Amino acid sequence: MSSTPDTLRRRLLLAGSAAAAAAGVGFLPASSRASSLGCPSVGQPTEINVVGNSFPVVAHVARIAEACTRPGSKVRFKLTPQARIETEQAYASRGASPFDAAVVSMAVFGNLYARRQLAPLTALVDKYRDRYRIEERMLVRVDGEVMAIAFIQNTQNLYYRADLLIRHGLAVPDTYAAMVQVAQALRAAEPTLAHPIAQSFAGGYDIATEFTNVLSSLGGRYFAAGSSRPAFDDAAGVAAVETMRSLLPQMTPNALASNADDVVNQFQQGKAALGVLWASRAARMDDPAASRVVGLMQFAPAPAARARGTSAAHLWWDGVAFPANAPARREATFQVLMEALGEASVRSGNDLAIWVRSAYRPGRLGAGVALQQKAGSPEWPSDPGFSLAHGELGKVLPDAMIGRRSPRAALADAAAAYARAAVEKGILSAGAAT
Amino acid sequence: MKLRSFASFVAPSVVLMLLLLALPLAMTVWLSTRNCTLDMETVTVTQTGPFGARESTTQRARLDADGRAAQACRHVGLDYYRKVLGLGSGNREGENEFRSALRFTLLYVAGTTPFVLVGGMLLALGMNRVTQRLKGAFIAASLLPFIVTPVVGALAIKWLFRDNGLVPHVLEIFGVQLYWMAQAWSAQLLIVLYGIWHVLPFAFIVFYAGLQGVPQDALEAATIDGASRWQKLRYVTLPHLMPLIGFVTLIHLMDAYRVFEPVVVLTQGAFTTSVQYLTYHVLLQEGNPYKASAAAVLTVAGIAVLLVPLLRKTWREQRHGH
Repeated sequence: MSSTPDTLRRRLLLAGSAAAAAAGVGFLPASSRASSLGCPSVGQPTEINVVGNSFPVVAHVARIAEACTRPGSKVRFKLTPQARIETEQAYASRGASPFDAAVVSMAVFGNLYARRQLAPLTALVDKYRDRYRIEERMLVRVDGEVMAIAFIQNTQNLYYRADLLIRHGLAVPDTYAAMVQVAQALRAAEPTLAHPIAQSFAGGYDIATEFTNVLSSLGGRYFAAGSSRPAFDDAAGVAAVETMRSLLPQMTPNALASNADDVVNQFQQGKAALGVLWASRAARMDDPAASRVVGLMQFAPAPAARARGTSAAHLWWDGVAFPANAPARREATFQVLMEALGEASVRSGNDLAIWVRSAYRPGRLGAGVALQQKAGSPEWPSDPGFSLAHGELGKVLPDAMIGRRSPRAALADAAAAYARAAVEKGILSAGAAT
Repeated sequence: MKLRSFASFVAPSVVLMLLLLALPLAMTVWLSTRNCTLDMETVTVTQTGPFGARESTTQRARLDADGRAAQACRHVGLDYYRKVLGLGSGNREGENEFRSALRFTLLYVAGTTPFVLVGGMLLALGMNRVTQRLKGAFIAASLLPFIVTPVVGALAIKWLFRDNGLVPHVLEIFGVQLYWMAQAWSAQLLIVLYGIWHVLPFAFIVFYAGLQGVPQDALEAATIDGASRWQKLRYVTLPHLMPLIGFVTLIHLMDAYRVFEPVVVLTQGAFTTSVQYLTYHVLLQEGNPYKASAAAVLTVAGIAVLLVPLLRKTWREQRHGH
């Protein structure tokens, strides 16, 4: 049977949050004992609540933060796949946010910032910079004010089977057209390799992200310069869809339902030989328990969508951001999180993610972000209008990919749907949408 | 019974139903007629971070006199209902979207219900004949799909059918190459199969419980009268189980109309969407709880329409029963 509908679940969450706030969980009896080893002295004992996605690296940070327990005080780190919705609801709450901080992606950060729901951290950073060795590159500043602390980063880069390319004398492709040629050559030479290219073209988020990468490499834009009016349904948008379609004959017919997990599986099983995938997934290639290609995968910048174009990928960060509506424990929370995101944490969890801190030592499988940075990839756009358009594109692109609708018609539909939703959200004025 | 005693007996459940069912529904209806919009401006800011500094254009709420994001709320009447349904001008793709979601939702309801009922009944009848010693193990095994969380169940099915999955692998041994998530029909078939697999144990356990209460004397009398096995099933067992068949149908119709997890997990919305998936998209992608409320109310209305024939039947039976 299906679970509770979303709306009901949302209300239950809100009711739970309200009940927690009403019960005054934030303030527990004071205790004057000293802090445990490695744990900051956070002043008045208290309960700190943080929420984040259930990724291994966030679980690692959560374990360290939760070790900061002194008698009478506690850190609770909630790990949930629903972190985004829980964060957005808590930060939008009229009362105090039930969470004192959250681990957020760039897109969530963008939404929270736009709604003015984030607390500036500049003063805290200035106060504690030396104690926690906070590095400038961790600080996400908007017009000079620190609004979040980034701790991990990600990107998409090219994965390829070095052994096969060398065996057949093929060069590492630097454009999508070259990637198709390499795939054709591999398919001719390796009878077991029916679908040499694997990329996450699944409907929704995945395919819209691939489209964004290719569009950007082609020099296209989501919006008309300096505005929020959609522009992705122009010639560059159509060319981006066509570029993506050119890969389909080299991919599994299930491609439009293949997400990053499926692509990892196709690489691990040796069923695919090249494609663009999240840099954070590289470590899985050498997992002897799941991979048949241990040591055989190599990494290069994502191909450009056209000759002499920029590498088709974006740079991402994840970080912690604090709600404007929960000032009471902000300083204590800040200290706990800076401890949990400290150099020791990076060293003990070095291979769990691509960290921002300079203490991070990238191995063979952690080079993706550096590769893309060197290739000049831009940062992922994080404004709310972009997220909205990205969501609408994810819905129409599968139809354009299989030819059920022409790319131009599908993109025009997405642009119209975006404009409507953007007007409803006040991002776009009704006059500008038409 | 005195009114006072009656009231104190039913009060707890009435209060709970008002609080947990009526109030949220009323709030959802109220929300669906409103729209709150932040007063946004498009600004160019300098953002610095792990990848250096950049100028970027973003939208940002204007602040009011208290330094909070300025927000304007207004009553929009039935606007969002019209938008979700794709009515009105300039909404062509909205129209297609809702219709195609409704089409698949109804296909799923129609495709799963008979199989759930017939399959559950066959399983229950079969289990009734299994020796006592094996019953426990058989029942536990049959209930597994129902116990598994829908998302996990859908993932398990996806992994069986995706590239390198067990089913394509076995089919390939027999020379059949089928990519289940490559065309709309096979992706939809997979979702329907998942639905049957997931809910069949529920029907089975209800029918099996019902079978334990079939009057043995009626069955024996039928045997003495020379009734065949089929006739006993047709004229004794099934009439006895009719209220339960109605109950399972009712619950499954309500549930099937809200099909969501397999759509998200198996195809991520490509080729096929459901009414509930559209609500999810509006709430999470468009971030519009007001419009999502309208979509949710329409879902409730859709379920109510589906249930009308069943409820009328129950109503009639209740009236004639007393």
